[in-house]
Amino acid sequence: MSEQEMQSIAALNYNDVNLTWLYRFFHRNHVAKFNKVFLPILKVVFIAFVFLVLYLPVILIAVQSVNNSADPASFGGLTLQWYTEIFKYRSLRSAILDTLLVAFLTLIISTVLGTLFAIGIHALEKKKRQKFIILNNIPLVNAEIVTGISLMLLFSLLLPIFPSIFGLPTMLIAHVFFTLPYVVLSVLPKLSELDANMYDAAVDLGDSPIKALSKVIVPAIWPGIIAGAMLAFTMSIDDFVISYYTTGNGFNNISIWIYSSIGKTSLKPAIYAYSTIVTLLASAFIVVAILWNNHKRKAGTKIEK
Amino acid sequence: MAKKLIELVHVVKKYDGEAAVNNINLYINENEFITLLGPSGCGKTTTLRMIGGFETPDSGDIILDGVKINDVPPFRRPINTVFQRYALFPHLDVFGNVAYGLKNYHMKDPELTQKVTEALHMVNLDGFEKRKVDSLSGGQQQRVAIARATVIRPRILLLDEPLAALDLKLRQSMQYELKEMQKKLGITFIYVTHDQEEALTMSDTVVVMNKGVIQQIGHPRDIYNEPKNRFVCNFIGQSNIFDGVVLGDHKVKFCGATFEYQEEGFEKDEAVDVVIRPEDFDVVPSKTAPLTAKVLSVVFKGVHFEMVVDLGGKIVTVHDYEESKVGDTIGLHIDPYEIHLMKLSHEQAQTL
Amino acid sequence: MNKLKRFSLPYLILLLVFIAIPMITMIALSFMTTEGMHFSNAVFTFANFSRLTEISVIVGLWNSLKYATIATLACLAIGYPLAYIFSRSKNKNGFLITLLLVLPMWSNILLRTNALGYFFSANNMITGLLSQIGINWSIDIKGTGLSVVIGLIMVYLPFMILPIYTVLDKIDTSLYDASSDLGGDPIRTFKKVTIPLSLKGVTTGIILVFLPCFSGFAVPRIMGNEKIVMLGTIIEDNFIYMDYNFGSLISMLLIFAIVIALFVISKVDKEGETLL
Repeated sequence: MSEQEMQSIAALNYNDVNLTWLYRFFHRNHVAKFNKVFLPILKVVFIAFVFLVLYLPVILIAVQSVNNSADPASFGGLTLQWYTEIFKYRSLRSAILDTLLVAFLTLIISTVLGTLFAIGIHALEKKKRQKFIILNNIPLVNAEIVTGISLMLLFSLLLPIFPSIFGLPTMLIAHVFFTLPYVVLSVLPKLSELDANMYDAAVDLGDSPIKALSKVIVPAIWPGIIAGAMLAFTMSIDDFVISYYTTGNGFNNISIWIYSSIGKTSLKPAIYAYSTIVTLLASAFIVVAILWNNHKRKAGTKIEK
Repeated sequence: MAKKLIELVHVVKKYDGEAAVNNINLYINENEFITLLGPSGCGKTTTLRMIGGFETPDSGDIILDGVKINDVPPFRRPINTVFQRYALFPHLDVFGNVAYGLKNYHMKDPELTQKVTEALHMVNLDGFEKRKVDSLSGGQQQRVAIARATVIRPRILLLDEPLAALDLKLRQSMQYELKEMQKKLGITFIYVTHDQEEALTMSDTVVVMNKGVIQQIGHPRDIYNEPKNRFVCNFIGQSNIFDGVVLGDHKVKFCGATFEYQEEGFEKDEAVDVVIRPEDFDVVPSKTAPLTAKVLSVVFKGVHFEMVVDLGGKIVTVHDYEESKVGDTIGLHIDPYEIHLMKLSHEQAQTL
Repeated sequence: MNKLKRFSLPYLILLLVFIAIPMITMIALSFMTTEGMHFSNAVFTFANFSRLTEISVIVGLWNSLKYATIATLACLAIGYPLAYIFSRSKNKNGFLITLLLVLPMWSNILLRTNALGYFFSANNMITGLLSQIGINWSIDIKGTGLSVVIGLIMVYLPFMILPIYTVLDKIDTSLYDASSDLGGDPIRTFKKVTIPLSLKGVTTGIILVFLPCFSGFAVPRIMGNEKIVMLGTIIEDNFIYMDYNFGSLISMLLIFAIVIALFVISKVDKEGETLL
């Protein structure tokens, strides 16, 4: 745009007094051209930088998983031997299996309970509900170390009654406790989207309360339940701090195993192989999820046409 | 003294290869209330957004006061918009919303508060300054949006189907209010709607659009009485269209009968579309009538009865103040000035 | 619908028990010296409180504050622009972005931190590779506060990006049009519309990042070569050596900070939406 054009447009519009100085600065003729080329490049570099920061460790782990040398300081050629060794060492093997066991149990218990609790909370009056939600959020906002220690102290008080309580029972209870709020927070919004009369309508039409819940409410809030379940599973499988304080009797999960092995020779490279497999599985999951999403969108627009 | 304010010249806008707006040419005068009317997807909203600056034409020019403004961003155009869903700022109260534009132009108190109060008074929302936006009804939000857009005195106000979400009575009263507002402010209003009654009620000029092309421009009366083609004819009001042949000497033959008509511009033996509005039929005793028809259904519409009749095999709609019974044979009469002829479109002419 | 209220009762009891009892126990422990959890030889004392002025505690508190604040601000400075870029991009890839940001979290946090630690050491794979080409370059900062901060950023950046992105994505784009329409250039629109409407997400992000950074011990231990002292490491040390009393006391300090955070949250939002 020429100076003249810009002047006449300014005359149309109160002389552009509304423009901020920053905008003016970036839109002076020569700066504007510079911006057009520079900004997109800056954006791409920035995004690349951030993803590098996030993914560099993941990549390093993947590289180490095929590194012939067990020492991450040097690269000794490619190998897949670590992948075959994942279940070779008893301590690692039991750590992995115990982690999965706790995660699956937590998934089921937490999801079921969390959904029921969310339904209960949703049925409360507004003021009570708000207060309850604050209470629900406390474990979420609490520092993990405080939650871990709190639970440890709580279980310690029970030691006289249940002398061998530490281990699977305590870790499971702990995991359920700290994942419940996530499930509740995933399900609640879906509940508030529901028509308030759905449940009453179902009961009115003859359903027993349980049937009404399972046939009417649950299917409607299913996405929230799934999201909550996934959250619970993810949080449980990788948990460190809380598990660290609520375990005992040699019951380990993966994070504890790693923490106790860092810097020592007991850190088998097989763990890198395990981690890489998990990453690859998760990536595959993402790809499937995206393709599924795209497929649904395209199917949707086809029907519209 | 109509002065051209804004002009669209050969404007084209494409989405995904398809033209949403296809070579439209239009000019709008100062102090005019003009409506872009058409079904969804006809390009009226796209046109409005291009005038507002939210979209850029792929080709063609938009000229304001002799200055080409194609690439000028919205915040540099003296044009403001009332959005379809109001787009009120949720984090500001009513005062904050209305004052938003004024603050951008560095207006300070006491002038600021005075202008806001005036604007709220004009839309009948005195005392609403401190109210939260989400506590307002649809009609009230509507009016805040109008106050917000007009308080900074733009040269042109764009309204994107602003009354669509309101109930009938409210819509009708707002139509009058908007018309009054336009006269009082002296600003050009460009209004977009798919509701033809709305367009006919409020506008000085109506622009009928379909599929990205302007079908007809004119005064509401002309659009209604003299539609230029089938689309406009069917879109505005109800109508019946017959195949007819001009016999010369202001006579036209259709439905097996000959009628006199008054319009100019048609030649002997020309095939034409004959348009008769339902309310233009006069129901008369069948014995002496030029046309007779059998009544198929009768519905009471409050103001009139709407009847669907069989006129020699063709289904026709007739409005009458008197009730006829289903199964009756009625006579139909038409006055010459109520017979409207339309030239056939290219496609129709091919098939003859 | 009202009959369903009863489902919330067990949860209420659960939450109260699991939160209140430990809290009371910790308060009690702070005022005593005990042998681990055996209360039989408990002695009521203020001795634990006087230990609060020990150098290690002061240094630990200062470090926690310092590093957590720097890490949080850095995450904000990086995370907000990124969330903004994503929310304004033309293709609606919100789902993809969320997944991509979460994917690294599927790798164990300790392994990732450890791997980053190798990267910041003098001898690692990459330096080895580079020295073979003749370049002697390494980022040898493991063991310093800087490496702890970078480690914290690496781990917690997604926790800042996601809430901000969620909130920005929800903003009705017609509001941007409206602001522009009323004379606001992009800078002013950002200042007057985008920022106020994204504040909830920023608050969530800050809390989700600051609290773990302030109270964690895994990242500081690994990146700091066991040398850097922070509140979390002090608590951990005490509990390893069975000094539950002092450990409880410091935990109470932490809880105090958290209560303040909760207060802030409840002021900013009422329906529990902030944390979603």
